[in-house]
Amino acid sequence: MTPPLYIALRFLTHRKRALLLSLSGVVFGVAIFICTQAQTQGFARYFIDSNIGANGALVVKSRFRPRYEPLMVAAKGSKEPTSRRLYFEGITNPNEIMRVSRQFPNVVSCSPVLRGTVSARAGFENATVDLYGIDPAQHARTTDILHQLTDGNFDDFRNNTSSIIIGSRLAELLQAGVGDTVQLLAPNGEYWRFTVAAIARAGIGSIDSTRVYSHARVAQALLQQPSGASMIIYKLRDPDRAPALATRFETLFQHNATSWQEREESTLQLFLTLRMSVAITVSLIILLAGFGIFNVLTMSVLAKIKEIAILRSMGYRRIDISSIFLWQGALIAAAGSLLGCALGALMTWGVSHIPIRLRGLLYTNYFLVTWDWRHYVFATLLAILAVFIASYVPARRAAELPPVVTLRGSSV
Amino acid sequence: MNSESCLSCEAIERYLGEEEERVHALRGVSLEVEAGSVHAVVGPSGCGKSSLLYILGLLDSPDAGRVSIESEPVLHLSDDELAHKRNRLIGFIFQFHFLMEDFTAQENVMIPMRKLGQLSDAQMRDRAAELLDGVGLGDKLRRPSRHLSGGEQQRVAIARALANDPRVILADEPTGNLDTANSERAFELLQNLVHKRGKALVLATHNPAIAEACDWIHEMKDGCITASHPLGTRSSIS
Repeated sequence: MTPPLYIALRFLTHRKRALLLSLSGVVFGVAIFICTQAQTQGFARYFIDSNIGANGALVVKSRFRPRYEPLMVAAKGSKEPTSRRLYFEGITNPNEIMRVSRQFPNVVSCSPVLRGTVSARAGFENATVDLYGIDPAQHARTTDILHQLTDGNFDDFRNNTSSIIIGSRLAELLQAGVGDTVQLLAPNGEYWRFTVAAIARAGIGSIDSTRVYSHARVAQALLQQPSGASMIIYKLRDPDRAPALATRFETLFQHNATSWQEREESTLQLFLTLRMSVAITVSLIILLAGFGIFNVLTMSVLAKIKEIAILRSMGYRRIDISSIFLWQGALIAAAGSLLGCALGALMTWGVSHIPIRLRGLLYTNYFLVTWDWRHYVFATLLAILAVFIASYVPARRAAELPPVVTLRGSSV
Repeated sequence: MNSESCLSCEAIERYLGEEEERVHALRGVSLEVEAGSVHAVVGPSGCGKSSLLYILGLLDSPDAGRVSIESEPVLHLSDDELAHKRNRLIGFIFQFHFLMEDFTAQENVMIPMRKLGQLSDAQMRDRAAELLDGVGLGDKLRRPSRHLSGGEQQRVAIARALANDPRVILADEPTGNLDTANSERAFELLQNLVHKRGKALVLATHNPAIAEACDWIHEMKDGCITASHPLGTRSSIS
């Protein structure tokens, strides 16, 4: 143990009340930071996981129309011809695109979907629904639909082409349960009769209140669509790399490809803004703790003027003196961060057990939290930075104290 | 004064304070201290005794003049180098002992040793115990210094000054805060150490009895050494 560290420890333990005051500021700052980040990111993570689980990490749809810029004549007054991208709706050759895209190492699986909007009727209730015509086996491999089922059986759906799976909120709206009949209105005005095989809850309100899954062949006939798929959804090993893969797919397949980040950009920005806002607020708490430590250490320097002069007379250098006070700060930061991380984890666990009934954007019965080691590292780094800044000025002041003035008995 | 000089200063000038309050504290002071000798600096309060000790102890820098330790000029050294010399070669004793109140007697004595860093923790503890035993405090090693009497605290300060086996001991009124019995005991301790172990001792004192017992007496007045008397060549000091 270096002499400054030894003396710092002794100085710290001597002033127990001041130590507790400084320590509690850091402990609560770190704990609150961790807990609030866990909550805000918890909601965001849940949204992302649910979204990717239901809609895939990447979606390929709508073939690009060829560009004919060399043939186009710019309108009068316009400097350049329009460059807006135009599309042919749907996938031209879904099987070939899926065969090629499966060669990419990041692709786990993919599933073609024929999508259309229809009206649904059950009893006296009506709703506009988003019909997803799927291949049950491929869709089960690509999405979390198996885990989303709250009632009924996926095999019943797989084995019965006249069955459907409906979203949980849509089921409530139509007052339909497993085994009930739901009628879907075809574009030609005919009602098609389906049996509800299962009910799914993705956890996202917009999906659960509109989504209906049927077999792809049945959907194709009902929607009277010539193409076999209006989009292909992908499950990726690393969803964070979806934007790069989307760019690659657009070039390769000449189809529009959208990553989940692009698809949910506005909601993700909302979560990010919320997290930033909370982080700034909590950082201010840690800064306030830093001010507390600044005061405590400044008072400590004033109270230890005599000791500082003695140490200097015994050959301690200026840097040793400043180290004593920096060590005090470091010890407070280390102990405070450690206890703060433990308290933060405890608070996060406690918050995750608080009941909350959300049925809007997200579906949850409890506060959502995420356990991320980076929160703990960031909170610790923030505490160390705040404490270092708070300790630096008193430490410097202590080092600059002229020992002779104190030894002569004068005030500084 | 011949033989081996372990501490000397020459033509020291020192001003204290700023502008109108500026005081010429030391005016051309020269002094040579050889190993194994005890030097008393006497004079009225404010004559510059403490200022001289702080300069000799490398705690303060003179405005002019030179200071040498073991014939090596030291004033050109950096602050860190001066601190190292203080730690290794000089032991300070102050009038008000200036101990670390929360530290035990033993821990106080170990502070300079920790800085020097030449001994293990166990060795430092043994040496501190030995030094405290030497000043009659062998049974109070673990007592916090604030729980010791004034005389005991001063003896801890003496033990601490000897911790790194310094060449020079500088004592600023070391007995000024003690009763007669404790004063005599503390001085005897120092005198024995100096003579037995070849140290040099410079002490500023108001105590005529102590000054009379020193090998040299330097009389100071208004920042100057007005007279220096070796043992046995002076009339009594007022």
